[in-house]
Amino acid sequence: MEFFGEVAAWFADPANWNGPDGIPARIGEHLVLSIVPLAAAVAVALPVGAWIGHTGRFSNLVINIANVGRAIPSLAILALAAMLLQRTIVDIGLRDSASEIVTMIALFFLAIPPILTNAYVGINEVDDQIVEAGRGMGMRDLEILRRVEIPVGLPVILVGVRTAAVQVVATATLGAVVATGGLGRYIIDGIAQRRFDEVFAGALIVAALSIATELGFSFIERRATSPGLRGRDTAPRELAQAGRPGGI
Amino acid sequence: MRMHRKLALGAATLALVLSACAPGEGGSSPSASAGATGGEGERSIVIGSAGFYEAQLMAEIYAQALEANGYTVERKLGIGPRDTVQPALESGDFDLEPEYIGSLLTYLGGEAAGDPEETFTNLQAALDEVGLTALDYAPAQDQNAFVVRQETASELGVSTMSELADAEGASDLVWGLPPECETNVLCSGALEQYGFTYGDLNIEQYAACDAPVAQALNDGVVDVAELCSTQPDIERFNFVVLEDDLQTQPSENIAPIVRNEWLDAAPADFAEILNAVSAAMDTETLTSLGVRVAVDQESIEDVAASWLSDNGLN
Repeated sequence: MEFFGEVAAWFADPANWNGPDGIPARIGEHLVLSIVPLAAAVAVALPVGAWIGHTGRFSNLVINIANVGRAIPSLAILALAAMLLQRTIVDIGLRDSASEIVTMIALFFLAIPPILTNAYVGINEVDDQIVEAGRGMGMRDLEILRRVEIPVGLPVILVGVRTAAVQVVATATLGAVVATGGLGRYIIDGIAQRRFDEVFAGALIVAALSIATELGFSFIERRATSPGLRGRDTAPRELAQAGRPGGI
Repeated sequence: MRMHRKLALGAATLALVLSACAPGEGGSSPSASAGATGGEGERSIVIGSAGFYEAQLMAEIYAQALEANGYTVERKLGIGPRDTVQPALESGDFDLEPEYIGSLLTYLGGEAAGDPEETFTNLQAALDEVGLTALDYAPAQDQNAFVVRQETASELGVSTMSELADAEGASDLVWGLPPECETNVLCSGALEQYGFTYGDLNIEQYAACDAPVAQALNDGVVDVAELCSTQPDIERFNFVVLEDDLQTQPSENIAPIVRNEWLDAAPADFAEILNAVSAAMDTETLTSLGVRVAVDQESIEDVAASWLSDNGLN
């Protein structure tokens, strides 16, 4: 119980809320460290996943590569990124941000598999009848993707983005091993200096931020899902039934 | 040294598990008591060591050097961390081990100095009380050290910490220092002794003696890093260890520690054999041998044997 008192005292200490190593600053660094690779991963993995979901081409290859990527431990990806890319980053004059860039690249690769897989699955599993209906209305491939498949597959696609986001926010902590800022500093520095109240407090903040990310994305998912698709399980049946009363 | 402690801890756990599994390894077994009664012309000795590879390597080198001179050696290598190994030695579980003079002195309650001679003298006094003796220490030291890339050393023309402090352009250097440096007198305190102002340094926080900081130094993310002086990365990346010319770091030379009971009855050549080994072992040599063990994955036995024969010690 004494320990939790120390953790509470750590949070109560105004010194931990100010300056470059205060909680707001660290959360800011952590968010930058997370948002950049997540956005990049979305920009790359969403179109690729959607396209292979739409065409079905290369799907096995791409999904399997993504899943192998998923199996590599994050720390190994980070070490590998540092080993392979750090020198180049320094050479092109980005020395001061080298640690951050290495970490972002590692997080980018971490974020790819869930986004890619869910984009593929979300698009691929759109009911063929709906796609055919679109085609029957004279839509071209891109139009079908944009106006039929993506809106219908969106709930699944967004789950992938949410999974990636939560993973990235939780894992950005590792950046502190290669000297980035962010909330990982509390954990790494705390361990190094045997300040376990700080370690625990840091872990709590990371957990809170992860949960907030989860909730935030859940909210976006609900808002972004077309009203006709809410309560996904029943929606397709309703749609199907809606088609029937012509009395076939 | 932090890395070593971690390794030692792991090895200790392993050793505990192994010793729990192996029958006849208990304190009362015949093999354990053989060491305690050895000596007197018998040329039979039990050698122990801590868990990490450097301690095992030194112990193996002692073992093979003695075997080459007709001794029978039983090995108890990789026993565990210092607080397991040391009581075992004092209680006669084995007779001889390699140790770092500064760390052992600190463990025994003394204060390690930067000067090896002073540390050694104090260590000897502390060892007297527990019935142990340190033979000659090797020039080889495994201590925290500030390390730069070869190019930095030649550009700035520095080989010692004092020269680095005086070097033109030293203020532009980026330091890879551990998070605890600020509160550690052996880190920030040492840097202040050389005339650096800790608060003015451009610091990236990396754990000392670890792989990421060595990588960062090699890639140019940092220019000076705190490593361990026998860390294999130093040889792999051709780093330059800056001499700690003000002796801010406790001396950590390696010395054979032997039980007095055994030493008193030892054959006349015993100390000579080990002193010859120590005399030939400097920090660069130990680092190279460490690379062969830890990076190239050669067996400790082979590495020990080839070094001994290169030096005509077996």
